[in-house]
Amino acid sequence: MNRVQKARLFTIFRYAMLFIWSVIVAFPIFWIVSTSFKPDWEWHAWPPVYWSQEASWANYRAVWGRTQSPRATSGEKVATETARYESHSANKPWQALWNSLYIAITATALSVAFGAILAYGVSRYRILSEIRMFQLLVLRMIPPIVVAAPLTLYYSAIHLMDTALGLIIVYFITTLPYSVWMTKSFVDEVPVEIEQAAEILGATKWQAIREVIFPLIRSGIVATFLFILILTWSEYLLSLMLSKVDVVTLPVQLAKYEGSDEGRVYGHQAALAVGITLPLMIIGIFIRKHLVRGFTFGMVKR
Amino acid sequence: MATATIAQPKGRRSTRARGVRVFKWSVLSPLILLFAFLIPVFLLQIYFSFHSWTVYLSTWFDAEYVGLELFQEVLTEGRFWRAMGRSLLFAGLSTLGCFICGFALALLMYKPFRGQAFFYILFILPMLTVPVVIAYTADMLLYEKGPINGFLSYFLPGDLSKFTWLANPDVAIFTIILLEIWNWTPFVFIIMLAGLSSLPTEPVEAARILGANRLQIFREIQLPLLRPVIFLALILRFLEAMAEFPKTWGLIQGGPGTATETIPIYLYFTTWVSFDISKGAAMSYVVMVIMIFIVLTAIYVLRREKRALDALHETSRAEA
Amino acid sequence: MSEKQIKRRSLLKAGLATAVAGPAVLGAGKAHAGPEEDAVIKAAKKLGGAKLNGMMWGLYWRNYPDLNKEFMKATGISMDKVSDVPNLQIPQRAMAEAITRSGKFDIFHVESMMIPSLAAAGMLEPLDDHMKSVGFDLKMVGNFETFMQYQGKTYAMPTDGNVCPQFIRKDLFDNPDERKAFADKHGKELKWPVTWEDELEVMKFFHRPDKELYGFGGLRDKANSSFWYWMYLYSAGGFPFDDDANPTLNTPAAEYAFDTWLARKQVSHPEAAAWGSPQMIPRIRNGKIFSCQYWDGIIALIESPTAKTKTRGMWHYGLVPGSKFSGKLIHRCFSAPVMAMVVNRHSPRKKQAAAWAMYMSTYKNSAEVVGHPLFTFHDPWHPKHMTDPQVTKVYTKPGIKSVRDNLLVTAPPPYVTGYQEFKEVVDRNLSEAYAGRKKGAKKVMGDIQNEWAKIIRKVGKRKLKREIPFYKGMMPKVDKPS
Repeated sequence: MNRVQKARLFTIFRYAMLFIWSVIVAFPIFWIVSTSFKPDWEWHAWPPVYWSQEASWANYRAVWGRTQSPRATSGEKVATETARYESHSANKPWQALWNSLYIAITATALSVAFGAILAYGVSRYRILSEIRMFQLLVLRMIPPIVVAAPLTLYYSAIHLMDTALGLIIVYFITTLPYSVWMTKSFVDEVPVEIEQAAEILGATKWQAIREVIFPLIRSGIVATFLFILILTWSEYLLSLMLSKVDVVTLPVQLAKYEGSDEGRVYGHQAALAVGITLPLMIIGIFIRKHLVRGFTFGMVKR
Repeated sequence: MATATIAQPKGRRSTRARGVRVFKWSVLSPLILLFAFLIPVFLLQIYFSFHSWTVYLSTWFDAEYVGLELFQEVLTEGRFWRAMGRSLLFAGLSTLGCFICGFALALLMYKPFRGQAFFYILFILPMLTVPVVIAYTADMLLYEKGPINGFLSYFLPGDLSKFTWLANPDVAIFTIILLEIWNWTPFVFIIMLAGLSSLPTEPVEAARILGANRLQIFREIQLPLLRPVIFLALILRFLEAMAEFPKTWGLIQGGPGTATETIPIYLYFTTWVSFDISKGAAMSYVVMVIMIFIVLTAIYVLRREKRALDALHETSRAEA
Repeated sequence: MSEKQIKRRSLLKAGLATAVAGPAVLGAGKAHAGPEEDAVIKAAKKLGGAKLNGMMWGLYWRNYPDLNKEFMKATGISMDKVSDVPNLQIPQRAMAEAITRSGKFDIFHVESMMIPSLAAAGMLEPLDDHMKSVGFDLKMVGNFETFMQYQGKTYAMPTDGNVCPQFIRKDLFDNPDERKAFADKHGKELKWPVTWEDELEVMKFFHRPDKELYGFGGLRDKANSSFWYWMYLYSAGGFPFDDDANPTLNTPAAEYAFDTWLARKQVSHPEAAAWGSPQMIPRIRNGKIFSCQYWDGIIALIESPTAKTKTRGMWHYGLVPGSKFSGKLIHRCFSAPVMAMVVNRHSPRKKQAAAWAMYMSTYKNSAEVVGHPLFTFHDPWHPKHMTDPQVTKVYTKPGIKSVRDNLLVTAPPPYVTGYQEFKEVVDRNLSEAYAGRKKGAKKVMGDIQNEWAKIIRKVGKRKLKREIPFYKGMMPKVDKPS
C-alpha cells in the first residue's frame, strides 16, 4: 500500500468513525426535538415513530403558551387529549426562564470577571501561591449535596432562602475555581511587555487590566464564560434546595413534569427541554472557536 | 509556571511594592469575606454531626450530644460503603469512557479536513444539554420496545426489543454510566483537541525523518507531551462524576433496589427522605474527607505534571 | 365532553347554562353557591384579604384557578403563588419548611400520612376551631375522616380520595371462549377473585407476554412498592406494630404478605421494577394489562370520551380481593397518598389559609374539582360524591360503586410519626427483593424489622406508643362492604 492509498483509507476510516459518533450524539437530540412535535399517542408508540405525520406546535403552545386553562374555542374544536395537560404550567416556564437567565448570567459574569482579575494577580504578582491555587479547586470538588442541608438552615436563618442573591452567591463560589484557572492560562500568554508599556504611560493596575489584559484575552473570557454558563444554567440540586417559589429555575421546573396519574407528559417535557437547551446551544455554536482554547488550565504550552 | 514578575526600576520599588499589596488585598479581601460568610455552614455541619437531632422531638439547638456515635454508625454501615463503591465505579468507568471516546475523536479531528467545523459543532452539543433533560430523554428512549431498542434492532443481530436498560439491577448502573459518557465526552474532546493542536511539530518531523512510524511517534513523542492535559482531563472528569446527581436522581432515584444508589443519592435519601439531618451531616464529613484525600492526590499529580511541563518549557526556551 | 363544559362555571355565571351545557352539568352546578359555601365566605370576609402561598403540584392545582378567583372576589383571600412541586417531593419540602420554621407557605398539599410527622415537627395548625367558627362539617365516606386527624384534632382538608379498586378487563374476563378455556384448565368456573390466591390464578391464566398482555399492572418500583404491601398485610390480619410500639414485621402474616407481594412478579412486565405511574398508566389504558389495583383517578381517565384510550368501556371495576390467612376472609384496600391541604402554623395568614382550604372542600366545590371531565387527579371522598351526577358521569356508575365499596374497607399505610422513614425502609428492601438482590421472606422482613427498630428508637418509643391506638382505630370496622 502506498502513501496515497493509506491516506485514502485513513480518510474513509475517519469519516466512518465520525459518522458513527454523530449518530450517537444526534439520536437523543433528534428524538427530543421530534417528540416535542408529536401528539400524545405517539409518545410511547411501537414501532417508534421517528417523525410524526401529525406534527404540530401543540406541545409548545401547552408549555410556553400564555393560556391559563383550555380555551373554549366556540365549539369548532373539541377538547383534545393535549388539553388535558394545559394550564399545568400556567406561565411558569417563562418565569423560570427569566429566573434562569438572570441568575445564571449574573453569577457567571461575576465569577468570570472576578476570576480574571484574580488570575491576573496570580499570574503577575503571585497573590496566591501555587498550592493555594490548587487548593481553590477543592471548592469545586466537594459535591454540593454534602453542604445542602446546613446551607438550607443557614440560608433560612439569614433570609437568603428563595432569593436570587442566595443562588448567585453559591454559584459564584462553586464556579470560581474554574474561572480562575481557565482565565489564568490566557493571562499567562499575554507578554508582560505590553503592560509595562502601559504602566510607563501612567496606567494604574486596574486600567491595565481593563484596557490591556481584558481585550487581549477576550476569546479566553468568552470561552470561560460559556463553560461556566453551562454549569450554572444546568445546575439542579442547589437550585432545588434553595428555591421555593420566587427563584425556581428551568431545570427544577422541568423536573415538575414527572407526570403521575396520566403517564409522563413526554411531549411537554420535550417542548420544555428544547426551550432549556436551545439558548446554550445557540451561544455554543456562535462562539465555538473560542471554546477549544479555554479548557487546558495552563497544561498546554503554545 | 510562566509567571513573569514585572521588572521593577530601582528607586520606585517601595511605592510599587505598596501598590502590589493594595492590589493584592483589594482582590483577596472580597474572597476572604465570602469564605467567612460561609463558615457558619460548616459550623452547623459540625454541630449536627456530633448531636443526634430528631425533628419530632426537639428544636435543633436542643439536640443531644452523642460524640462520635454518628460517625461510627456511618463508617460501620454496609450501605454507605456499597454506595461509595458504586460512586467510585461510576466515576471511574465514566471517566475512562469519556476519555477513550474524547481522545479518539480528538485524534481523528485535530488536523483540518472537510467538514471539521460541522462535526465539531455536533460533538460539543451533548455538553450543552442540561443534565435533567438528559435524564428525561433517557426515560423516553430506554425501555423495552422503546426507540433505542428499536433503532439498535436495525443494526445488531438478535431481538433487542426486549433489552431492559433500567429494570435490571445489573445493567442499570452501566446505563447511567453510558449517559454520563454521552454527556461529558465533549469536555474531554475539547481539552484533548486543544492539547493536540498545540503540540510542537518539530519533534514529530524529526522523528519521521529518522524513520519512526505513526504508532511510534504517537507513543514516544505525542503521548509524553500530552501527559499533563491527559491527567487534567481525567482528574476533572473523575471529580465531577463523583458529585453527579441530577441524571441518576431524575431517571431512577437510585433504583431498582439500591442498584444505582451512589453517594450523592444516598446522602439525599438520608437527609431529605429519612430526615436524618445528623447522620447526613456525619456522612457528609466522611465523604468530604475521602474527597479531599482524592483531591489532594489529584493536586499532587497535577502539580508534578505542571512542574515537569514548566521545566521542559524553560529548557526549550533557553535552547532557543 | 366538550370544552364548553370545562368552562361551565363561567358559562353558568353568564346565564348560558341551559343553552349550552347538558343536564348532568346542571345537576352538579345547582345554584351558584350553596349555604355551606356562603357560611365560609361570610366568616372569611371578616378576616380581611390575604395573598396566600401554597405548595401544590401543578397537576393538582389546575382544578382550582376558577374557584380561587371566585373566592378572591367574594373575600379578598386568594392563592397568589403556587410552588409547583411534584407529589413525591412535597413531604421532603414540607419537612424542610418545618425544620426551618418558615412561614413562607400558608398551605401545603401533602399526603395525609405525613400529618403525624408534620404535626410532631410543630408545623400544622389544628383546624377544629376554624371549622367551628364557620360551622363547617367535614364528611367523608366510612372511616375516612380519621385520615385527616391526629390525636383527636383535625389537621387537613381532603382533596383527593385516591383509593385503589380492582380493575379487570371485561372483554377478556367475560369472553365465553376464555371462560371455557379456564374451566377446562382449572376444572372450575372463572369467577371474580375473592382471595389473592384466586387473583394470582386468574392473572396467570391471562398472562400472555408474547401477545403483550401482562397479568398484573400494580407498581413495583422503589417509590410505590410499599402501598400494595400494606394491602396484603392488613387483609392477612397483620399490623406492623404491637401495642408496645415494637415492629411486628417478622410475623407469619407479614411474611405471607411479602410472598403475595413478590408472587406478582411472575405476571408483571419485566420492566416493572423501574416503572412508576408514568410508565404504567399508558400500558393500562392501552390494553397491555389484564388486571390491577390502581388509583381510581384512572377510571375517569380511561372512561373519558375525549381520551384516546384503547380500552374505554372494557373494564370491570370492583372490590379488591382479600385473604383468608387470618382464618376469616378480610378485604382491605389501600388509600394512599390521600392528598389533603394542611395549614402552616408558622404562617401569619393561617386563618385566611384555613378558610381558603375549607372553601375548596365543601361538597359542591369539591364535587366540581373531583368531577372535572379532563383534570382527573382529584378523586371522590365525600359521601355525596358517590351520588353526585357529575362525578358519576365522569367515573361511571360501576366505577363510582367500586370507589365507594373500596373506601369502606380502606386503610392507610403506617399512620404514625416518621411515616416517611418507615416507608423508605420498606420500599427499598422490597425493591431489592424484587430486583433479586435479596431473597426469602424471612431475610427481607427481618432486615426491615431491624431497620425499623432503629427508626423507632429515633422517633421515640413513648411517642409511638401513644399514636398506635389511633392508627389501629383507623382500620375499617367491616371486613367486606355491604
